[in-house]
Amino acid sequence: MFNKILIANRGEIALRILRTCKELGIKTVAVYSSADRESLHVTYADEAVCIGPPQSKDSYLKISSIISAAHITGADAIHPGYGFLAENAHFSEICAETGIKFIGPSPEMIRAMGDKAFAKETMKKNGVPVIPGSDGVVSTPEEGMELAEEIGYPVIIKPSAGGGGKGMRVVYQESEFRVAFQTAGNEAESFFGNPAVYIEKFLENPRHVEIQIMGDMFGNIFQYGERDCSVQRRHQKLIEESPSPAIDNKIRKQMGDAAILGAKSVNYEGAGTVEFLLDKNKKFYFMEMNTRIQVEHPVTELICGVDLIRLQINVAAGEKIDILPRPPFGHAIEFRINAEDPDQNFRPSPGKITSLHFPGGFGVRIDSHIYQSYTIPPYYDSLVAKLIVWGIDREHAILRGRRALEEFVIEGIKTTIPFHLKVLEDDKFKSGNFDTSFLDNFLK
Amino acid sequence: MDLNLIKKLVRILDTSGLTDLEVEESGFKIKIAKKVKTVSVNGQVQSIQSVSADPVLSESNANTDAKSGSNEDENKNQHTILSPIVGTFYRAPAPDAENYVKVGDEVSQGSVLCIVEAMKLMNEIECDVSGKIIRIFVENGKPVEYNQPLFLIQTD
Repeated sequence: MFNKILIANRGEIALRILRTCKELGIKTVAVYSSADRESLHVTYADEAVCIGPPQSKDSYLKISSIISAAHITGADAIHPGYGFLAENAHFSEICAETGIKFIGPSPEMIRAMGDKAFAKETMKKNGVPVIPGSDGVVSTPEEGMELAEEIGYPVIIKPSAGGGGKGMRVVYQESEFRVAFQTAGNEAESFFGNPAVYIEKFLENPRHVEIQIMGDMFGNIFQYGERDCSVQRRHQKLIEESPSPAIDNKIRKQMGDAAILGAKSVNYEGAGTVEFLLDKNKKFYFMEMNTRIQVEHPVTELICGVDLIRLQINVAAGEKIDILPRPPFGHAIEFRINAEDPDQNFRPSPGKITSLHFPGGFGVRIDSHIYQSYTIPPYYDSLVAKLIVWGIDREHAILRGRRALEEFVIEGIKTTIPFHLKVLEDDKFKSGNFDTSFLDNFLK
Repeated sequence: MDLNLIKKLVRILDTSGLTDLEVEESGFKIKIAKKVKTVSVNGQVQSIQSVSADPVLSESNANTDAKSGSNEDENKNQHTILSPIVGTFYRAPAPDAENYVKVGDEVSQGSVLCIVEAMKLMNEIECDVSGKIIRIFVENGKPVEYNQPLFLIQTD
């Protein structure tokens, strides 16, 4: 087992990882930019190293500073959290070269799954259902149009090297194709440095359902159930839940098996999430695989009674997975509380927290790094807290969610707490019958 | 009462030209003072160090070519060299070589003061002012973090 782990991250996830390390008796090192000097993860860790100025590219993304911090503190492993360097193959490589264990997959694995077109090809070859589309990269508009004809419009043009909605174009008819192809390629070039695109059938208003998997170095892959993340605003998840109200046990099993098949086909090690899109007819298609722990992992933890960070650390230390999946129990919902003003188009609202009260009680979990009189720096993302509630069923979880949100006090900044309360009142949300277009319509 | 905050305040007072420092926040108030040498010049008593109100540590841009990050002290005659990177501090270019500088040395802009080693790369830290070294904050071979004070220079 590791002697000392350096957490190459900040905010709530840094604290989350530190907590599990403490439980495992592993020494901890926090790294921080000069803007995060007052952050909770800095005081909580056994040691802390300032690695740079506020800008992420000069601190949390600066590989040399982080590796250097690991060397001077004698850390033997690095946990990258999510975002930042978590899916950076180069960072994984440098850790390996300098004798530090990267708690995550190998550089080859990150590259394989990071190349979206290649990942899809690999899944397809191994019998995992994929969205009908091109066989890898499409080089010319002519090639694309021929393919689109076969698949049937609407189609979506997507960048091979990136995501987050950039470099994507939906095409509804042939006459729009050429221009869309060219602009998508140009945008992909400017955002990801690579103009390569691929094409897929565009599923209108799908649901986003993902499967949590964990693989050890002995070839065992397990899946811990699904999370429904269809409540999204501009491709950013805001509410996640498990089990998904959209699928029955038959589909659940099929998706779980498909996820394991996909992970086994690449000999996956560590925590991963296989993302699927579910169409109106409950057919599911592989979308992409994320090779890191995800923000919404607590939803799975509450349903399955498992500490996913602990499993990650165990697997990285060469141990066998010891918590085998059991049938999920109850229903969990996560609300991402952001420092944003929902009445001003979710404008970021950094500043000082003048008054803070966390909700509590049975079935309420808060993952957060904020404290009263903490000043939220403006340089990083706006997530200030995750509220995750557990209930015996979905209705109960919603009631508990409302109770907890009403109890939650954060003053001095604007947050999305009132917004979440409104969503919980909505009949469509309560019915469980919604898709990824839900929030856009709700906000109109 | 935050011990780390108090340590920081002491360090600010120590490395600056301030003689007194008083901080008040809701529920917390602290005053720290230090003795100052005074010199009689033509019958007038003058204190060597002058007082000003600005905080010592300000945000500086870390250069990737390892020029030192610097901050302007309240006292215009004193200048602290901060480490621009994370690594291990060495006084000399090699284990058996002479130290680059020692206390009392005169240095000029561009003089190499020390090495901060990061990932097996030896980064030479250059001085960005001219003056005399009056204090070295870190021992040879010790780890340093970003913005950690390394040298105190009395500028000309």
